[in-house]
Amino acid sequence: MPSEAARRRKGWAFVVPALLWTLAFFIIPFVVMVMYSLWQRTGTSLVKAWNFDNYASFFEKSHFVAGLINSLEITALVTVISIVLAYPLAWIIAERISPRWQRLALLLAILPFWTSYVVRSYAWLLVLSKNGYLNQTLISLKVIDTPLEIAATRVATVTGFVHFFVMLLTLTIYANLVQLSPNYRRAAADLGANGFQTFWHVILPLTIPGVMVGAFLTFVLCIGDYITPQILGGNNELVLPQIIMLQITRRADFPTAAALSIILMVVISIAYIACARWLKMERT
Amino acid sequence: MHRLRSIGVISYLLLVYGFIFLPVVTLVLFSFQEGRFPIPPFNGPSLKWYQAVFSDSKLTSALFNSLVVALLSSLVACFLGFLAAYGFARYRLPGAGPIKAAITAPLTVSYLIIGFGLLVTFNMIGVSRSLLTVGVGHVVINTPLCFAIIYASMGDHQLNIERAARDLGANDWQVMLRVTAPMLLPSIIAAYFLSVTFSWDEFIIAFLLSRFDVTLPVEIWSLLRSGLNPKTNAVGSVVFLISVVIVLLLEFTIFRRGALSDRKS
Amino acid sequence: MHKSTITSAIALVISMTAQTGHAQEEINALVWCDHTDPEFVQPFEQANNVKVNLKDYEGTGTALSIIEQSQPGDWDVFVVDGVDVPRVVEAGLLAPLPEDGLPTADLFPEIIMPETHVIDGKTYAITEKFGYNTISYNKNTVDAADMQDISVMWNEKYKGKIALYDYYLPMIGLVAISLGIDTANIQESDLPAIKEKLFAMKAVAKQVGEVVSSQTAIATGEVDILVGGGEWVTAGLTGELPHLDWIIPDQGAVRWSQSVGVFADSKKPDLALKFVQYILSPEGQARLATSSCYWAMPANSKAGDHLNDQQKAALRWDDQKGYLANSQLYPVPSAELDAKMQDIWTEFLQQ
Repeated sequence: MPSEAARRRKGWAFVVPALLWTLAFFIIPFVVMVMYSLWQRTGTSLVKAWNFDNYASFFEKSHFVAGLINSLEITALVTVISIVLAYPLAWIIAERISPRWQRLALLLAILPFWTSYVVRSYAWLLVLSKNGYLNQTLISLKVIDTPLEIAATRVATVTGFVHFFVMLLTLTIYANLVQLSPNYRRAAADLGANGFQTFWHVILPLTIPGVMVGAFLTFVLCIGDYITPQILGGNNELVLPQIIMLQITRRADFPTAAALSIILMVVISIAYIACARWLKMERT
Repeated sequence: MHRLRSIGVISYLLLVYGFIFLPVVTLVLFSFQEGRFPIPPFNGPSLKWYQAVFSDSKLTSALFNSLVVALLSSLVACFLGFLAAYGFARYRLPGAGPIKAAITAPLTVSYLIIGFGLLVTFNMIGVSRSLLTVGVGHVVINTPLCFAIIYASMGDHQLNIERAARDLGANDWQVMLRVTAPMLLPSIIAAYFLSVTFSWDEFIIAFLLSRFDVTLPVEIWSLLRSGLNPKTNAVGSVVFLISVVIVLLLEFTIFRRGALSDRKS
Repeated sequence: MHKSTITSAIALVISMTAQTGHAQEEINALVWCDHTDPEFVQPFEQANNVKVNLKDYEGTGTALSIIEQSQPGDWDVFVVDGVDVPRVVEAGLLAPLPEDGLPTADLFPEIIMPETHVIDGKTYAITEKFGYNTISYNKNTVDAADMQDISVMWNEKYKGKIALYDYYLPMIGLVAISLGIDTANIQESDLPAIKEKLFAMKAVAKQVGEVVSSQTAIATGEVDILVGGGEWVTAGLTGELPHLDWIIPDQGAVRWSQSVGVFADSKKPDLALKFVQYILSPEGQARLATSSCYWAMPANSKAGDHLNDQQKAALRWDDQKGYLANSQLYPVPSAELDAKMQDIWTEFLQQ
């Protein structure tokens, strides 16, 4: 029998490659980014004077702060709408569709997931355009008489996002629902609960942790996204990732971009901690 | 009452599926447009934009680049993820908690931030941007994913078989490669393909870390910025078709078979 | 078996990265998107058996950002806004060009611009293409007479029907012209007035976008007017959309011009110069003028021999004298003023 120390060494050998990779290409870049955020760009040169000016200027510039607020508003809206749309869909697939067809129904619900991500936003632009088929159909059905001007607005951005996250959340919520033991339902019925009561008092609370995980995933992916608002928002308002990209691509102002990235990361971390806390409370 | 409810259910399904498929249908429809603008009225069908896509060497090489980056970076990510999962599941390691947290941390960070961090780092140490740097970035985002999926499927029920193999004289590496890996194959394959999908479709890291040789999403982005025409629709439809075929193939071969063998055991 | 997969994967990665640098010669060019049209590049590549790697950008700030993220010697040819040549030269990026190798005498005289291209007696770049940032519009839906006056940019009558081009320099130039300020003379003290007008424009505009999203918006009828547009938006589309037109208002408009030069630290200066000569040749000029990304006037007057009448009409070949007289060059701000302008622009987007 090898000694405990030798076994541990062997165990570490398995873990070390992934750890080194993470260290070299994730943790060190993060440290470099923090360094950059404390430097300044003046004119066309990088000044390595260590201070918090970039962070201070974030709070001084109202259009930067507005970017963060836009990001938070859009992300919150997207998360809520996506859950509200996806939950019933996942529920119907799990409960109302015979097991034989469930996989197919689920597959169909997430099939557009595999259109290229850049193309998906572009396709929404075509759908929502003033003279597009959506407007034409609505006008011919007499639902509206002047075309809806959705393209290049926040509504367009939110629509593009919701489309993606409805698919994602349907998948996660469905997985959650089918994992529940049928015993819960039977027990509830034995106790005299009707369908709605069973759902409201038994199924829904049991699936909330899963929904929260999905919501957190939505939050992270949505708040960090650049393409969807860039293509669909028409530059009528900027979200934080767009402001970060402006700093990187238009003026090579890496210090400001780094400071903004770290602010974005802090916001995500706060959401993560809040989410984890809440889940822990829920469990005890 | 019951009838009313089914009508409600059916109309809800129609609405949501309609919403989900609306952009795809529009995309594919206008890829067959005859004229130069992907807007109504539809005046096709014509295959000329597909021809344009396949004769565009920039697009076809971007498609190839995307495949290479996705397949290879996922291989590395899966390999690293599998090793780490094996290490954590089979050896009691002090301080495992924080290290697991470090390995999975990239999952909670936006791709934009990961890409930008790598950009400034490569810039500082003087590494030129290329497909290789894009691949490095994709391994960063996919390793935690592969690790999480494989680690979750490693239970104690494989332990006995591993112990038996060891008793029969297999060394640790043989056990891992000949016994553990084959038992975990379904989850390794699932992790691999998920990772391929993510890498294949990833934009922002590839955009920040590539230069002349770009991946498909980056090429589509510059296509979008260099002229309005249904070529974008055509290339989008082709990508969709390829992906759907792969998904269906997987669905009807590997995963279906995996389900069967699960039932047998 | 696993080991061999891994070894072959590593071999593939290595061969992938080693790919650059053998077989045919390559040059790397940093360009505006019109140069990426295969119809333009391929004839040069085939004739000289080289591969031209092209990276496109919009705006000098972006180009400088890309250069900063590269290693010395990465780039060979640089296409840049004419007005930015002096600061690029000052930064030591460009090498002098041999004057006898360039068709300077064939260029339209107004756009040779020796004051920006010749520094200390040495020529660093040459104009290759030019055009205007002005007002494009849909003849069917707007009153063409309204377009004569530059104040249409914030005319309430067209609220929600205007798209703005997302590039701060020409847009600030247009606003300056409307305020009677010379674009070459914008001072920091002018910024508050410019900012006020920009915000007034944003209030009536439907969207702000780069080249293609602007083109898309006006081509699909999403908007009726494109401020900052010009022949580079409409000329390529008029074949199919004859109702698109453009005009230089009475007060004038902004003129853009692209110049091309060779990087000082290029490792293949001869090949790079050859590419510059191709770009300036009548054939190259005609192809560049009608590039799929955007059309615009070629700098070389001899390119006319390689363009048909329809193409010339779309480019308004015969009207250039008047246009040139009533247009001003891009503003050329100092680094500090530039930073302030970019800040105003970000704030403007966020309005």
